[in-house]
Amino acid sequence: MNGAQWKKLITDWRVAALLILAVISIVAIFPHLDNQGDLATNLQYGLDLQGGTWLQLDIQAEVVGFTTAEPVETFVTNLSKKLDTEIIVVDANHLEIRKLYSQAALEPIFAAEGGKVTGYQQGVSKATADDVKRILENKINTYGTQDAKVNTLTGLNNVARYIRVEIAGVDMNQAQQIVGKQGKFEIRVVTTANQTEHVLFGDAITNVQVPSQVPPGSNHWGVSFTLIDAGAAAFQAAAIKYGATVDPDNHNLVMLLDNKTVYSAPLSPDLAAKVKTSPINQLYASTGNGDYGKKEATNLEVHLRAGALPVDVTIAGSNQQPAPMGERYKAMALLAGIFALITVGLVIYYRYREPSIVLPMVLINASEVLILLGFIALIRFQMDLPTIAGLIAVMGTGIDQLVVITDEILHEGKVPSPNIYLKRLSRALSIIVIAAATVLIAMLPLALMDLSTLKGFAIITILGVLVGVIVTRPAYGRIIMEILSR
Amino acid sequence: MGLFKYTIEKYTPKQLVIIPLALLAVSLLLLAFSTLTTGTPVQLGIDFSGGTAVNLFTTDSKETLQSHFAGYPLNSISEGVNDGKFLTFSATDDATFRELSALIAQKYPDAQINQIGETFGKTLQYQAVLALIFSFIGMVIVIFISFRTFVPAGAVVLSAFADMAITAEAMNSIGLQLTMGTVAALLMLIGYSVDSDILLTNRVLKRQGKLHDKLQGAFHTGIIMTSTTLAAVAAMFIVSWIGSVQILMEISAVLLIGLVADILNTWLTNAAILKWYVQKGDGK
Repeated sequence: MNGAQWKKLITDWRVAALLILAVISIVAIFPHLDNQGDLATNLQYGLDLQGGTWLQLDIQAEVVGFTTAEPVETFVTNLSKKLDTEIIVVDANHLEIRKLYSQAALEPIFAAEGGKVTGYQQGVSKATADDVKRILENKINTYGTQDAKVNTLTGLNNVARYIRVEIAGVDMNQAQQIVGKQGKFEIRVVTTANQTEHVLFGDAITNVQVPSQVPPGSNHWGVSFTLIDAGAAAFQAAAIKYGATVDPDNHNLVMLLDNKTVYSAPLSPDLAAKVKTSPINQLYASTGNGDYGKKEATNLEVHLRAGALPVDVTIAGSNQQPAPMGERYKAMALLAGIFALITVGLVIYYRYREPSIVLPMVLINASEVLILLGFIALIRFQMDLPTIAGLIAVMGTGIDQLVVITDEILHEGKVPSPNIYLKRLSRALSIIVIAAATVLIAMLPLALMDLSTLKGFAIITILGVLVGVIVTRPAYGRIIMEILSR
Repeated sequence: MGLFKYTIEKYTPKQLVIIPLALLAVSLLLLAFSTLTTGTPVQLGIDFSGGTAVNLFTTDSKETLQSHFAGYPLNSISEGVNDGKFLTFSATDDATFRELSALIAQKYPDAQINQIGETFGKTLQYQAVLALIFSFIGMVIVIFISFRTFVPAGAVVLSAFADMAITAEAMNSIGLQLTMGTVAALLMLIGYSVDSDILLTNRVLKRQGKLHDKLQGAFHTGIIMTSTTLAAVAAMFIVSWIGSVQILMEISAVLLIGLVADILNTWLTNAAILKWYVQKGDGK
């Protein structure tokens, strides 16, 4: 090919689009040498390639559809007492019960209160799930872990049952300590001798200060914390209702973590007087004097800050990938990719024996992977092993379609005239489009499956098919025409 | 391509389909048998049955490992290359798992742990079955819309179904369990097994020329398509096998089996049905 032909080829929009995308991809991937002089890129890796832990948490609560003849408020209050847990009205027909009961266990209790269970699903409402997510994120951040992700998986009817937490660079035990073994924080008030009543949960606490001395320099330690308005109102209501404002010493306020008492003290006379008249947002829990008081204050701070989830969770599934294994997998994956490209090239060469056909094919194939990688880098998608399997599969099948185009055009070995050429190309493309549509449809369920660890794989396969059909096949068709009509 | 000749002229459609159909029948029977005996057509891996899998490198003997984990429902210990040990435990409750993971962290801090709870496994199983069903139905719809005639479309669907059934039975025979990875591979097979069928049907029904020339031509192209995919997948299998990257190995093993089954089903079953259809005179 001479210069003019090259120019014509490159300025063809199909080829130009491919070249531009390839360049953008390289920029997006941004291969460079890092501080240590190692090769680095913008690609982000999943936990299985960089080491870390994921936990899938199962929420121990349920959203229940209900009907009742009673006023909803009375019904919910009575129910809450019977079930000994907090109940949130999600909407006119749904309640969120923050403790796990089976549907069979709930039905008689609902009936006794004059209601009926019309639906049942384990999980919490989307709003609560978002709360849980926020609390977990805070908690992980407090532990100074940088690379973490928390995702709630919300189903069709806005009920979230699972929460997935991914933390890079920690082992399973640390991860469990950070999130899994999450305490449920609650403040209760003593009513009579051994009885207590619920006041508020950890989600009513917004801001926790570091341990401080009150008055300053007194060596008398404690932690101050802030309640949201609803929490302050609940606090005031409970304190007044159960007599903590009138007789503080017999109505201790008890803080529980995982149903274990971590703190118990009466309202100070000063606070008792204030609470009587108005809700108080700013509270101070005093823990004692000297080193003991200071240590207790630090513990309490963690308990308060850890902020406890409004619902219990269990570990539904988990995975720990040690960092060295991740590194090795990364190397293996790269090796597999390169090896696959070479073997595919050899098979193609065996078939066509013509470098001017084989070379563009392999280059187009490689460019397809390059564009996909660029896209992955651009959307900051975390590349994991299944994604790499998807990329390699894209290589294998991408070249299939190039073979279909080449053979269709080369039919009976004759080099076609432009007219026939276009006819044949469109025939080849029709085969390709059907094949692509099938792969797309086949992979769609996996891409939509919320719980799947293979979402990445499915998405990459689908993207690969799209990039192929929209960008690289048309470009290849144009390039091969130029080569064959030489 | 001169490796072997595709000469199906001398055989009648009936003779051609006999081998793959017998294979399909045997596979279906064995799958039914294992459903009766074990409850599922294929063995469920930890992803779906629930349990814990631990992958670690240690010179400790099996006995030592057994004594370390004596208090836990240890199912099996298998050994791999470079002192690799692979342990599986049955599903346990939350508290037991936390203890177990703490013990593993203490004894073997560099272990790879994968744990799925029993109910979560059930949820995943349900989703995987749904995904397989929806994928298959989706594929059938695309194929029928594309070809709009019953026999050719049905032949493609039958051949894809046979690919999956034979692959599933082969997984049983070589002890590959159904995991997230192998489900993905099966789904991919739905997509990829049909592309040579589409090429074949397209060439035979939409082109002018003698039937056998068209079959020959289609085979010439189709076998290369399958070979390139096989080559890429084989590369992935070899590397992941040497490097013991479990999930890549599972995916590539299932794809390898499926692609080989696909060669049979495309160029014997599907080709035979098309041959019969064209000779009967419904095609052109």
